[in-house]
Amino acid sequence: MTLSRRDFFKAAGLAIGGALITAGPAQASTGEADPNEYAAMLYDATMCVGCNACTNACRQWNKTTAEPDARLLYDAPKELSADTWTMIQLYQGESETSFVKRQCMHCVSPACVSGCPVQALQKTAEGPVTYDQERCIGCRYCMYACPFHVPRFEWGTAQFPVIAKCTLCADRLKDGLQTACAERCPTSALIFGKRGDLIADAEKRISENPARYVNHLYGKDDAGGTSVMYLSGVPFEKLGLEDLGTTPIPEISEGTANILLPGILVGGPLLLGMIRMTAKRGGWEDTWPL
Amino acid sequence: MAAITRSNKNNIPIAFWPLLALTLLGIGLAIYRLVVGLGVSTNMSDHYPWGIWITVDLFLIPVAGAAFTISLLSYFLGREDYHSIIRPAVLAGFLGYGVVGVLLFLDIGRWPQFYNIFVPGYINLHSFLEEVSLCVTLYTLILILEIAPVFLEKWGYTVPIRWIQRGIFVIAGAGIVLSMLHQSSLGSMFLLMSHKLHPLWWTPALPLLFYLQAVYTGLGATAIAVKLIWKAMGLPIDRVLFRRIGQAMSINLMLYAAIKVGDWMGAGEIPLLLRPDAFGYLAWFQFLIGIVLPLGILLSKLVGHTSGPFWAGVFALIGTFIERLVVSWIGLAEPNPVSYIPSFTEIFITIGMIAGGVLIYGAVVRYFKLFPDPEHAHA
Repeated sequence: MTLSRRDFFKAAGLAIGGALITAGPAQASTGEADPNEYAAMLYDATMCVGCNACTNACRQWNKTTAEPDARLLYDAPKELSADTWTMIQLYQGESETSFVKRQCMHCVSPACVSGCPVQALQKTAEGPVTYDQERCIGCRYCMYACPFHVPRFEWGTAQFPVIAKCTLCADRLKDGLQTACAERCPTSALIFGKRGDLIADAEKRISENPARYVNHLYGKDDAGGTSVMYLSGVPFEKLGLEDLGTTPIPEISEGTANILLPGILVGGPLLLGMIRMTAKRGGWEDTWPL
Repeated sequence: MAAITRSNKNNIPIAFWPLLALTLLGIGLAIYRLVVGLGVSTNMSDHYPWGIWITVDLFLIPVAGAAFTISLLSYFLGREDYHSIIRPAVLAGFLGYGVVGVLLFLDIGRWPQFYNIFVPGYINLHSFLEEVSLCVTLYTLILILEIAPVFLEKWGYTVPIRWIQRGIFVIAGAGIVLSMLHQSSLGSMFLLMSHKLHPLWWTPALPLLFYLQAVYTGLGATAIAVKLIWKAMGLPIDRVLFRRIGQAMSINLMLYAAIKVGDWMGAGEIPLLLRPDAFGYLAWFQFLIGIVLPLGILLSKLVGHTSGPFWAGVFALIGTFIERLVVSWIGLAEPNPVSYIPSFTEIFITIGMIAGGVLIYGAVVRYFKLFPDPEHAHA
C-alpha cells in the first residue's frame, strides 16, 4: 500500500523495457556457474539404514518442529512439510526394500526459480536454491512448478505463511561447513562434496559393483541435472523418483517467454497500427467479414 | 432485470437486498481471511496449493476479455455498430478484472508485501505469473480510462473526456496488446507443469489455446449479456451485430479446435481420449459441448437469430470453465492425493465479490448512461 504512483510507473516501464531487452537467449535460472563446482550431495540408498539421523540433524540446525506419531513417542513425518525439510521414507516391495531420502533436489535449472515472480527463490553461485521471505508474496506458484513436489507452505496458523524447504544449508556452506544431514550420516550413505566429484565417485561405484546398483545416477542429467543425486538398488520410480527426461524443466516456459513477450509487445502495436491505417482508408468495409 | 432500468428510479429492485447481503458477508469474510491467514481460513493444503479462487480467476479473465475483443472490433476494425455495446462491455470487463484482482490479493499468503511484484529489482521477467500480474494491473488502469467518460460526462468534466477521446486509439490499443499478453500468458503459466498437468491439456500451444479461448469466450459472454440486458431494457437488438459476433466466434472456435486436435494427434494422445476414465470423459465433454456444439450452432442458419450466438456463447462458456477447472485444479497431479473441498470462507468470499461486481454494475446502469437510448439506437 506504500507504493507511490511514480514507483509503479517506473516499475511498469522497466518491466516492459526489460522484456524487450531480454529477448536474447538469457536464462536467469541457469546462471553462469559451472554445475560441476556446485555444492552437492550423493545419497546411496543401498547404504542407508533408515536411522533418521539426517532428519534430526536437519531439525536441530534449522530449528524445525518434530511431527510425532499419535503416542507422541516418535518423530514420524509422513512426507515433506513446512516443518520437515528432509526425511527418510521406506519403499517395501514384494521382494525388495529400500529407504529413500527426501529433500530439495537443488536443480541445476530450477523450475521454482524460473516461476517465482519476485525472485524470492534464487539459484546461488555455490549451488543451493535459497528462499527469501522478505520478497515472497505467498503465491505458491513454486509448489506447482517443482517437478519433485518439494516446496511446502505453512498452512497452520501463520498469519503470513512462508514457503519452507531444504536450503542445502546455505548458511553453513558460507562458513565452510558441510550440510548438517550429510555431516551426521553414520553410514556415509549420504556424502557431501562438489557435484563433479560426486558424479565421478558414483559412476565408479556403479562400474565396480554393477550387480548392486540400477545402472543410472539419478540427478546427473534428470530434469536437466540436480545437485542432490541418487544411487539405488531398486528402480527409481518405485522410490518416487519419476522419469522426468533430461530437458531442464524451465526450458519451454522460458523459451516461450523470450519469443512471446517481445513478439507481442512489438508485433501487437505494429499490427494494430496497420489495421488502423487500412481502416482509415475504408479498406475494411467491404473485405472484412466480421 | 427490468427493475434496473432508469425508468423506475425510485424503486429499489428486489435483487438488491440479497446481493447486498452476500457482498457484505464476502467483505466480512475477506477481512477475516486477511487477519487469520490462509491456513486457518481455507481448505487448501500442500496437495492443493491453489483452490477455488484461482479457478474462478482463470475463468473470469477470459469472460471479462469481452472488453478487449469488442475494443478491437470496434476501434480497429472500424465496425461502427459495435459502438453501442462498448460501454457495457468495458464496464463489465473492468468489474470482472476488479473481482479477479481482489481474489488474487486475498489468495496471496503474504499480502502485506504484494507490491513486491512491482519492485524493479525483484521482478522476474521469465515468470509468466509476474507477467500476468503486471499486465492485469496495467490493463485495469486502461479500463478505468476507457470507462471514465461515463462518469465524467455525468459530472460535467468535459476537458478530460476530450483528452481521452483524442487518445482513445492509443489507450484502446495498449489495452488490446496487454490483453493479448496476459490472456496468452495465463496459459503459459502452466508450461512449467509439463510433468503435473494431465497430458490431454498440457501442450506447448497452451498460450495460443488460452488466447483463442479468451477471444471466443469474450464474444460469447458479450452475446449473452447483450441479449439479456437489451431484452430487459426493451432496446431493439441489432441482428447484424449478432451475426458478426457469431462469425467472429466461429473463426476462433475453429482455430482452437484445429490446434487442439492437431496437438492430441501430434503428441499421440488419442489413446488417452479413448480411456474410460474421468479425464477422458472430461476432454470429450469439453470438446463436444464447448467447441463442436457452438460451432454447429454458429455454422447453421441459427447464426442469423439472436438466440444462435446466445446459446453458442452459453456452451462455449461451459467448455471454457471445464478447461480452466482441469488446468488449474483437478488436472494437476500430486502424489498421495487428498481431497480438497473449498471452505465456507473460500466459497462465500468468491460469491460475495461477484455479487459486489453485479451490484456496482446495476448501480451504474441505474444512475449513469451506459446504454444507447431506445429512440436513438440504430437497428
